[in-house]
Amino acid sequence: MNKSKILRSIGLVSAAALTLVACGKSNNTANDENAKTASKFPQAVPEKEAKQGGTLKYAIKTDTPFTGIFSDELSTTAIDSSVAEPGEESLFDTDDSYKITNKGPATFKLDRKAKTITITVKKGVKWSDGKQVNAKDLEYPYEILANKKTKAQRYSSQFEEIVGMKEYHDGKAKTISGIEMPDGESGRTIVLHFKEMKPGMLYSGNGYFWESAAPYHYLKDIPFDKLQSSDQIRKKPMFFGPFKVQKIVRGQSVTWVPNKYYWRGEPKLAKIVSQVVSDNSISQSIKSNKFDVTEVVNSQWNEVKDTKNVNFVAQIPLSYHYLGFKVGKWDDKQGKNVTNPKAKMNNKVLRQAMGYAMNVSSVDQHYTSGLSFRIPTLIPAQFGDYYDKSAKGYDYNLKKANQLLDKAGYKKKGKWRVQPNGKPLTINFLAMTGSSVQEPTVQNYIQQWQKVGLNVKLVGGRLSEFNSFYDKIQNDNPQVDVFMAGWSLASEPSPAALYGETSPMNYTRFVTPKNNKLLKEIDSQKSFNHSYRVDKFHEWQDYMNDEAYVIPLDNSYKVIAVNKKITGYSTNPSENSNGHQLWYKVGFTK
Amino acid sequence: MWKTVLRRVLIMIPQVIILSILIFFLAKMMPGDPFSGQINPNTDPKQLEALKRAAGLYDPIPVQYGRWVGNLFKGDLGTSYIQHVPVTSLIADRAVNTFWLALLTTTISYGISIPLGITAGRHQDEWQDQAVQIFNYVTFAVPPFVFYILGIWLFGFTLGWFPISGSVSPNASGFWGTLGSQIYHIILPACLVALITTTSIVQYLRTGIVDNKVEDYVRTAHSKGVPENVVFRKHILRNSLLPIASSFGTTITGLLSGSMIVESVFSYPGMGKLFLDSIGQRDYTTLTALILIFGILTLLGNLLSDIIMSIVDPRIRIK
Repeated sequence: MNKSKILRSIGLVSAAALTLVACGKSNNTANDENAKTASKFPQAVPEKEAKQGGTLKYAIKTDTPFTGIFSDELSTTAIDSSVAEPGEESLFDTDDSYKITNKGPATFKLDRKAKTITITVKKGVKWSDGKQVNAKDLEYPYEILANKKTKAQRYSSQFEEIVGMKEYHDGKAKTISGIEMPDGESGRTIVLHFKEMKPGMLYSGNGYFWESAAPYHYLKDIPFDKLQSSDQIRKKPMFFGPFKVQKIVRGQSVTWVPNKYYWRGEPKLAKIVSQVVSDNSISQSIKSNKFDVTEVVNSQWNEVKDTKNVNFVAQIPLSYHYLGFKVGKWDDKQGKNVTNPKAKMNNKVLRQAMGYAMNVSSVDQHYTSGLSFRIPTLIPAQFGDYYDKSAKGYDYNLKKANQLLDKAGYKKKGKWRVQPNGKPLTINFLAMTGSSVQEPTVQNYIQQWQKVGLNVKLVGGRLSEFNSFYDKIQNDNPQVDVFMAGWSLASEPSPAALYGETSPMNYTRFVTPKNNKLLKEIDSQKSFNHSYRVDKFHEWQDYMNDEAYVIPLDNSYKVIAVNKKITGYSTNPSENSNGHQLWYKVGFTK
Repeated sequence: MWKTVLRRVLIMIPQVIILSILIFFLAKMMPGDPFSGQINPNTDPKQLEALKRAAGLYDPIPVQYGRWVGNLFKGDLGTSYIQHVPVTSLIADRAVNTFWLALLTTTISYGISIPLGITAGRHQDEWQDQAVQIFNYVTFAVPPFVFYILGIWLFGFTLGWFPISGSVSPNASGFWGTLGSQIYHIILPACLVALITTTSIVQYLRTGIVDNKVEDYVRTAHSKGVPENVVFRKHILRNSLLPIASSFGTTITGLLSGSMIVESVFSYPGMGKLFLDSIGQRDYTTLTALILIFGILTLLGNLLSDIIMSIVDPRIRIK
């Protein structure tokens, strides 16, 4: 599922994100406008007539062997989800703005009055052993997620909007009372009863309900605590997607053959071989046409861009890098963020000036050969209407930065500016290690800040390794004033999970009444009205840019090199299964 | 001698205990934990907290240590936080891969370096010696990863003779097919590693031969009219092999430790790669188990070397 993919990827993406910052960047300002359509690259390979058969070799870009937990409920890494792509299919298709449609394996009906969502699997959607996907298969994922014995990391308190979910999770109930199977377990329908309906529920990746099925008949005899390591999940997983597993070499490769019961029709390819390739071998693999589908390492784009026999297609992932200012602390007892009004960085003008001093566009241009680009707002353009086209963000303007600082009383005393109260000002900046251009990128920003008289220093004098970076950010280490990080987003754009008062992932720890109000409105009942929600989204983006607790920096293309003989490959959300390639359409040309 | 061996084994016990304490505490001191890579807007931090608590990560470290040691005695190295399978099965998998790679590497390495060392020593200061010396300088000076990447580029990509990653091809089937594919996958890395790890053996051997050539017993043998070849084989070469024998124990146990660099470059799923990954992912259970195993292997390797020495060199007898 789309959501899942995002979920899984996040941790890694937050790491990758920084890598990206340093990686591909795009050509200057023009990008801001055409960010939505990946205009630099097509989103799909040319449509041609496909023949039946052929083996497709698919490279999985990773430096570590894949974990191989083939269950949407239990898996935790983005790599596993791309390994599982040929077999795994989400219950819902979406349109290009990630709104759930009824074209996929299941239909979806939201009833605001009754506070229910009804999910019905289409007849003929079958597991690879020929059994119809039934109601119990739709319900079972909730048990896997919520039962503490499975140790599923992806259980979330959002699910507790479903009636009875919390009771089941706490072990107080044997079943989830809010999940009803009107035609019994072997029917095709489940009805989810919610405590409250949310506007985001219309979008894939909203996190209130699950978007995939689990083969109950295949898994039912495995105790929950053994599920993660069971052969049924690790060695012989079962899916209802276009392909089924033929062979798994642990951590290295998976061979797929067509699922003859696949509901959309017979896949074109006779075989897919997914194989792990390390980052340092990727570019050579592309140049020597070792694989049919390979993801490009952005920082090595110049090496591969002239490769013959491949089409480059690209997608702009739902992610961004940002600059965050620490202005408070997480209060464990109250379970919420508490802003410190006296924090060094709790000065809007100072934050804005730092934003204007960053030459993001030219850094992107210089270091990433046109594959990354500055973004003006925290809602990516892919979200369509919700994206505020008029947002300007922080474009490089040293003069303005200087003016702002002068006006706010950050006077220059010798080389550096001092705080308005006359005390010296040193700003400690935390950044993560990443690709080879990460170091020069970070040093460049520091120089820019120094140009406007701000004494910015790297925490510890160097880039931090991923784990220690997040250790400092999550625990509000007092050494950190400013940090550069990244987020990968769910395909439902509500920002509450990242910037809400009670969200531990609101790493800047800013809380304002206005922000609380806007976030609430975005997810309110009124927001079932599309234009109301759009307005609120725009208002929020405007507010966030003005307050500058979080300054959006940039995003990068995800470029994929596809063999010219391949047709049917697309990165369009509406032509994917929730962010996954729909492999049944992919084939070799005649 | 067996008494000595027993004594050495007994001394190893406190060594292993100290080692285990060190590794365990140092591993816990690294920033972050196995869950810190999993932060994302849709994973509930409360759920992660609950999982951390359930995994015992909040217990006092001595308590965690006690639990870990207790399980060790039951032969249970724990479950990997990242891979979610028992560490023993994970390591067993990787150890097999590493063993075959290391065995081939060592064989080739000795196969190259012993003849080279002998040639250099025998023809001291002649052109053969100089050629070997140049080879030595080059292989010693080139950083291994550069050498491996060049090798993979030339033989893997440009010429396409060998696979570039993994331990077995996805298409391999049947016992012989799989075995063949596995051997095919280790040839290139093994040759590359072997080529640049010859330096010390060549050098030891050459020096040994050069030194022994002027020993009194060699002169005596010569004066008694013993044929040149016999003198070389029986008197010079045997004695010159001693320094190599002294490191043979660690070489044998080292077969299981793997090489982080070559395994990373070739994405070869062996012990070295597992070690590196488990550090990056803070997979404590795997990490501590691996260091413990590496530590014990080193101790055993030293013991083995001493035993080998006492067997091949009657002058050294452990009492």
